[in-house]
Amino acid sequence: MGLDIRIPLGLIFLLIGGLMSVYGLITRNAADIYEKSMGINLNLAWGLIMFVFGLIMFIVGRRQKWQDDPVNPRPWQQGNRPNMH
Amino acid sequence: MNLSLIDWLIMLVYFIFVLGIGFALKRYMRTSNDFFLAGRSIPAWVCGLAFISANLGAQEVIGMAASGAKYGIITSHFYWIGAIPAMLFVGIFMMPFYYGSKARSVPEYLRLRFDEKTRAVNAFSFACMTVLSSGISMYAMALLIETLGLLHGIVPDAWIFHVSVFLSAIIVLGYIFLGGLTSAIYNEVLQFFLIVAGFAPLVWIGLRNVGGWQGIKHTLPANMTHSWKGMAHASTNTLGVEWFGLVMGLGFVLSFGYWCTDFLVIQRAMAADSETSARKVPLIAALPKMIFPFLVILPGLIAVSVTSHMAGTGSAKEKNSVILSGAQSAESKDLHLPATTPQPLDDAHPHGIIPVKIDPVNGQPVLNADGTPVYNYDLAIPVMLLHFFPTGILGLGLTALLASFMSGMAGNVTAFNTVWTYDIYQAYINKRATDAHYLWMGRMATIGGVALSIAAAYLVTNFNNIMDALQLVFSIVNAPLFATFLLGMFWKRTTGHAAFTGLLSGTAAALLHHGLTIPANATPGIHGGWIHIIHTYPSDMAQNFWTAIFAFSVNFLVTIAISLVTAPRPEHELVGLVYSLTPKPVETHLSWYQKPATLAITVLAILIVLNLVFA
Repeated sequence: MGLDIRIPLGLIFLLIGGLMSVYGLITRNAADIYEKSMGINLNLAWGLIMFVFGLIMFIVGRRQKWQDDPVNPRPWQQGNRPNMH
Repeated sequence: MNLSLIDWLIMLVYFIFVLGIGFALKRYMRTSNDFFLAGRSIPAWVCGLAFISANLGAQEVIGMAASGAKYGIITSHFYWIGAIPAMLFVGIFMMPFYYGSKARSVPEYLRLRFDEKTRAVNAFSFACMTVLSSGISMYAMALLIETLGLLHGIVPDAWIFHVSVFLSAIIVLGYIFLGGLTSAIYNEVLQFFLIVAGFAPLVWIGLRNVGGWQGIKHTLPANMTHSWKGMAHASTNTLGVEWFGLVMGLGFVLSFGYWCTDFLVIQRAMAADSETSARKVPLIAALPKMIFPFLVILPGLIAVSVTSHMAGTGSAKEKNSVILSGAQSAESKDLHLPATTPQPLDDAHPHGIIPVKIDPVNGQPVLNADGTPVYNYDLAIPVMLLHFFPTGILGLGLTALLASFMSGMAGNVTAFNTVWTYDIYQAYINKRATDAHYLWMGRMATIGGVALSIAAAYLVTNFNNIMDALQLVFSIVNAPLFATFLLGMFWKRTTGHAAFTGLLSGTAAALLHHGLTIPANATPGIHGGWIHIIHTYPSDMAQNFWTAIFAFSVNFLVTIAISLVTAPRPEHELVGLVYSLTPKPVETHLSWYQKPATLAITVLAILIVLNLVFA
């Protein structure tokens, strides 16, 4: 299919990771929230990890679009492709 | 349960993406091939993750954690013995026939290889089972949302169950209706990463809390932290099965019957962009599958280790003899085993933070006959999330849980719409329609499949014992299947009449065996022994494994016997369908590390190491 999965995958991790990091940053001094997680600010730590993962996926997805793959043209590109727009 | 805005926001982002993918893919759905087979254009790693995710339904996540909490690390046999060998086999040996034969579904392969009647049996039984499974997934999800009070305060309590059922149905319907199999596969990949992202920090923080694996070993009885201890005899391990029954029944018959013949998973591999990719799909899937016990079983073990440790009692000895009943069976989703009536582990079985089971009717704790409380092990993962996750990441954890429910449901719906359209509608109702018509029919079948799933979900709600009954049906239908495929693919002499008769006799043998045997401490009826009791098994897991072994053997022998007295098909018709008549896949253009066999050996090596570490 013409949509590289890594783009939406990257985006959702960027968004959720970003939301969690920002929330973690705001609440970094709220000890009562992080009592559950043994004093570790899981939102900030894990949010950042997810954000970085999302960024990598997004960049790789943008750079290696399947449509641009010259070695292996995808099946929907072969033959007469009807105009879809 | 109190969720804050950030938790809802995270869940909302997920649902927007799920539907967004459907909308983004809609314009690529031009032929039935795009809709049902994703245009055979998906890279191997994407299919591989979808392969594993489609199988990772509600019952799996909830049930495996529950089983981990009840039985211990021995549950990992359902992954390491009960999945990996079969996944390697289907990838290396069977995929060339599924993919290379150009069959569009597993029942269609049976028609190409054997005949119309063998296909019909498989197509109809498979279609029914997918609808029922997705209904059970839907039911489990709604029940969990209701139990957790997720929508409490937003919709009236009495409506939570119904709202959950319909909301999940509409979302799954939406993205499959729009984007077909591609949409389902893409969402499964998304779900896979979210499940990992949601559960990995849970395991990490949980392990920190209980003092790591060593801490768990210290707290729990030894039979819960060793996967092979006491497997020599059924009475010395928590599953109540001896190693032969486990390896043959689970590891061979049931596991191969599921992973090598179930169109739900095979469909993901058939969507791959080449035969080599298709062969790699189950092998790639095997890598995360091996690691999943740490994500889904370990939380169960942590949950039972937690309180005693935190409370500083230093010992997990509880005086309660935990005899569990009715808890939704763990193991069942994968292999369609009947719900187990678990064994009392021992008198010292800890329950950690697992809550007591509450009777939904009167709100009182459920008690055993001897007055001890029954623990609701199905809540192992949800209580872990609530116990360790602060607001924010809690939203992520719940998203992961919901994602697992959706992926299981969607997997069943896409398998159903394909089998319905190609193997039932096109085969028996309307043979010569245009492709556009079949595409339309696929969309209608999606609606129909979801509607039937809702019906199944309510069926499960309204009849107490139906879950046991359904899982019994699954296991009886599934058990003999692998013999038919094994002989069909690897013995060119096998005939259509033989396959058909063998399949039916295998099912009959399964029924007969079930009717003649009974697990210990069960009354004759749904658990067996409804004809006459000639043998008693130590647990119903053992009974189930042996039912499968008998069904397989009968099918195998009957198929061989009848093949020898019926006329085989001419060999030229079987090229591409049978091992000995099909040219071996050409791999000369691949480097050694790109070859499926290399991947398979790597998986096998890791598997052995894991078994040794946790032996």
